[in-house]
Amino acid sequence: MYHLLWLIPALPFAGAFVLIVFGPRMADAAVKIIGPGTIALSAILSILMMGQFLTAPPPDHVYVENLWSWMNVAGFHPHVSLYLDALSMLMTLVVCFVAFLIHWYSTEFMEGDEGYSRFFAYMNLFVASMLILLLGANLLLLFLGWEGVGLCSYLLIGFWYTDPVNGRAARKAFIVTRVGDTAFIIGLFLLFTHLGTLNIQELMRRAVQEWPVGSLLPVAAGFLLLGGAVGKSAQLPLQTWLPDAMAGPTPTSALIHAATMVTAGVYLIARTHVLFTLAPAAMLAVAIVGAATLILAGFSALTQEDIKRILAYSTISQIGYMFLALGVGAWSAAIFHFMSHAFFKALLFLGAGIVINACHHEHSIFRMGGLRKQLPVTFWTFLIAGCALAGLPVITAGFYSKGLIIFDTEASAHGSMTLWVLAVVGVLLTSLYTFRMIFVAFFGDAKTAVGHKPRSAMKIPCIVLAVLSICGGFVETPRFLGDSHFFTGFLHSALPGVVLGTNPAMAELASELWVTLAFVVGLVVAYFLYIRNRSAVEALARPAVSRALHSFWHSDWAMDWLYDCVFVRPVMWFARVDKSDFVDSFYDGVAYLSESFYRGLRTTENGRIRWYAAGIVAGSLIFVAIVLFL
Amino acid sequence: MSATGWFTLLPLFILGGASIAVMIAVAIRRSHALAVGLTLIGLALAFASLWVVAPETPRQVTALLIVDSYALFYMGLVIASTFAIVLLSHAYFERHEGNPEELYVLLLVAALGSAVLVASSNFISFFLGLEILSIALYALNAYLHTRRFPLEAGIKYLILAASSAAFLLFGMALIYAELGTMDFARIREMLTASPGASQVILLAGSALIITGFGFKLALVPFHLWTPDIYQGAPAPVAAFVATVSKGAMFALLLRYFYWSGSHHFGAVFLVFTVIAIASMVAGNILAMMQSNVKRVLAYSSIAHMGYVLVAFQAGGRLAVEAVTFYLVAYFITTIGAFGVVTMLSNSEREADEIADYRGLFWRRPVLASVFTAMLLSLAGIPVTAGFVAKFYVIDAGASSAIWLLVFVLIVSSVFGLYYYLRIVVAMYSGLHEEAAAPSSSLLPALSAGGGFVLAVLTILLVWVGVYPATLLQIIHSTVGRAL
Repeated sequence: MYHLLWLIPALPFAGAFVLIVFGPRMADAAVKIIGPGTIALSAILSILMMGQFLTAPPPDHVYVENLWSWMNVAGFHPHVSLYLDALSMLMTLVVCFVAFLIHWYSTEFMEGDEGYSRFFAYMNLFVASMLILLLGANLLLLFLGWEGVGLCSYLLIGFWYTDPVNGRAARKAFIVTRVGDTAFIIGLFLLFTHLGTLNIQELMRRAVQEWPVGSLLPVAAGFLLLGGAVGKSAQLPLQTWLPDAMAGPTPTSALIHAATMVTAGVYLIARTHVLFTLAPAAMLAVAIVGAATLILAGFSALTQEDIKRILAYSTISQIGYMFLALGVGAWSAAIFHFMSHAFFKALLFLGAGIVINACHHEHSIFRMGGLRKQLPVTFWTFLIAGCALAGLPVITAGFYSKGLIIFDTEASAHGSMTLWVLAVVGVLLTSLYTFRMIFVAFFGDAKTAVGHKPRSAMKIPCIVLAVLSICGGFVETPRFLGDSHFFTGFLHSALPGVVLGTNPAMAELASELWVTLAFVVGLVVAYFLYIRNRSAVEALARPAVSRALHSFWHSDWAMDWLYDCVFVRPVMWFARVDKSDFVDSFYDGVAYLSESFYRGLRTTENGRIRWYAAGIVAGSLIFVAIVLFL
Repeated sequence: MSATGWFTLLPLFILGGASIAVMIAVAIRRSHALAVGLTLIGLALAFASLWVVAPETPRQVTALLIVDSYALFYMGLVIASTFAIVLLSHAYFERHEGNPEELYVLLLVAALGSAVLVASSNFISFFLGLEILSIALYALNAYLHTRRFPLEAGIKYLILAASSAAFLLFGMALIYAELGTMDFARIREMLTASPGASQVILLAGSALIITGFGFKLALVPFHLWTPDIYQGAPAPVAAFVATVSKGAMFALLLRYFYWSGSHHFGAVFLVFTVIAIASMVAGNILAMMQSNVKRVLAYSSIAHMGYVLVAFQAGGRLAVEAVTFYLVAYFITTIGAFGVVTMLSNSEREADEIADYRGLFWRRPVLASVFTAMLLSLAGIPVTAGFVAKFYVIDAGASSAIWLLVFVLIVSSVFGLYYYLRIVVAMYSGLHEEAAAPSSSLLPALSAGGGFVLAVLTILLVWVGVYPATLLQIIHSTVGRAL
């Protein structure tokens, strides 16, 4: 069974290839089969493989498949090999499965679009790249997937390329993540030059042997990898691309946010966690980035009107939780939250897509309203996903995964009370913006007549995800609620458990109660402000200070403005001023020289045969002279 | 001479027999399809016979020929390339007036000559093979004899090849006069055994032999004929001149200089260094602003032969393998590139102006993509065979520390990128001018055989680029073992 591993990334890739080459001439019905079909096969394979992994795990819980080696030069011989352990197995399963549901949904969502086959070609390539990223055994292959994901996000965000705004958003996503990628590449070079390999496991072994904890090199490497992760996962300070990335078709957003792309950074850190344990400073930085991001993005989400932008900020904030978990060494808690987040965030986006379609491409939640009765299935599934996002206690997956992170934040040896407080405040914010969105969009009076109603291909994936958003959490529960540790137990062979601090300030139960309290406060405040008493919101918004705060948060803490002032404008200004500097003249000189050489040499090609023969004679004479006299 | 000795020449007999069979068939019944069919069968049989004779190798057959795994590998390359070119020729000459059937006789004879060259171990077989090849090529170049350019190409090639052959013969004569042998391996023995031999005459002889090689390989300064011939010859014939004739010659060059030990003369090494540098620089610069695609390919082939010389200069087993790998990649891409030109040419003229390719992607996306892949491979962009090939050449050069050559290779490749990309850019531009394109008549339908060749070549191109291990393994176990 395991030897079929290569098929998991190969199938979507083959699908993408077929769609790119033959797509334009294919009937939509055939595209519908090839696009989601190949993902479905990968998903089935990964489910079967997961089954085998649970019942008959490979030796040491690791399966390595060496496919071939690319080249072999001076000790640099990157193998194209796949690495399957509990971590990559789990993430592969979630990615394939969620991606399949999103593909299925897209078959209906994208109906009638001019670029139907192009869309599925990109989506398949996206999934294939993500799977290579997950399964690559060395950092080079991981980087290939990493870049492939970046490329596909660019293509998909700018999918409707005739509108220049979308093209701009695509470029922004590409350039901003590129900043992180640069750090990542430098990190790769650093690791390779100092440890002499790019194979991840070998790299980790050598790092432990050669580098003492807290020495300069692992810290530098950790920070560089963190730079890459921050870019891809849209964390502070490179989060600005993600809200604009909403320009793409909604299923794309679901794929970017739930299954692929933004979780790549989380995976990278989890994969190289050994390196981070050697670098406490880098780990602390991860935790701080996560905590700061989750708070800042939470405030930003509070002020958005566009339903997709609210979800975008919530993604940034939830990935912040994962980073926080990674930063305190709660590796499997981060992956747990990745999984539950994949379910409910995909569902939220799919629901948002239905809502937007139903409201004639209206994005603002304040022009929706009353959708509860008109789109019942969507409402209920969206509500379930929202509850999971906000962390409705006991029944939803989000509660368990987030609760575990928050408890570990305080209890871990790397954790602290401050981080814990920030995480709990984050829960309050999450609950507040989530229910604001739900109450405004689905309750109250209907403001627009519902146009397009979803059919089964759009509804069934939502229902499946809704079930998972609830059941997905029961695999790992706290001590007072069943005490199940199936999830961390499964990951234990790949990710060590969290190292608890010596004297925890509170019990797990207390932490969970605080989380519950924060959830309830958020819910109640949202209820009073957006259902009972709308005028209170207006009153709250009226003073100048709150208007200023609103626009400040609405613009994502003015980050775009800041970057515009600090980077974009000075660079543009300098480019303008420096347009005619001496550097060009060098290249112009090269061009001019080559051109004159060309003109000179061209005269030798005059088409006269006597001249050609003379060339041969002269050449021989010269060479005879050389061999005789030199 | 034992029976099995002759038996190992089976591939040569089949090639020769096939050419006679096609000739008789043409005399009985003129049919393009019949001639092509017989030719393809002959080539396929010859190719299959390589495996039949492989267990008997290495074997010296008479004093003239040696059939070893090196010769068999290159024979395979020659036969496979001829196979592809025959398919392309079928597509090309289907659209042309006149009788195309004799072309295949000539192609088979030329392939026979090339096969003799790669198996030569003696000056006599060297010259015989060369002449069999050249005489077939004179006629092939001028095959469309009612047109001006092919006729001019044929005459030019005839005169220049004959004069360079004179230099070659004189060089051989000088060496024979001094050492009394024409056998490559014996030359080496004699060089060490008789230190009293006149260095002057031996070196002058080597220099003149280099002239002969230089002409066929189109190395600077013996390259002047190349663009005119490429431009004038029918596109499939140009592909043959660019690949089979040069590849066979290079295989012989390796064998001659390594076996005879002449490569170790400092002066010969110096001459090759000068030639390699001049070829890389001049070839790439001359191609830069060309507006004729076939001339661009001609100049680029000059530069490519310069690159291969860099690997040749490195010496040793690694060099033999790098040269062979490069030649295989070069064969794939060059036949592919000429294949696209062939597919686009119509019965009136060759599709050889860059203007003909403007906006090609919007009209013929598949063909344009194939051509793009071929050009990128010629430029040495990763994921294509050309990249890996160039990489191994540089690796061979670097491991022998011939830094000057490696440096020139890298710098001149930059020029290469420029002119290849010029064609690529032309293909993808001009969506809106498409309607007004003067070349819209240049769109004959893709024939099945030609399409098959291009598809196979493209797959090979990417396969070798991504997964070079198989080819390396084959080269390592055949070519690498023999020299």
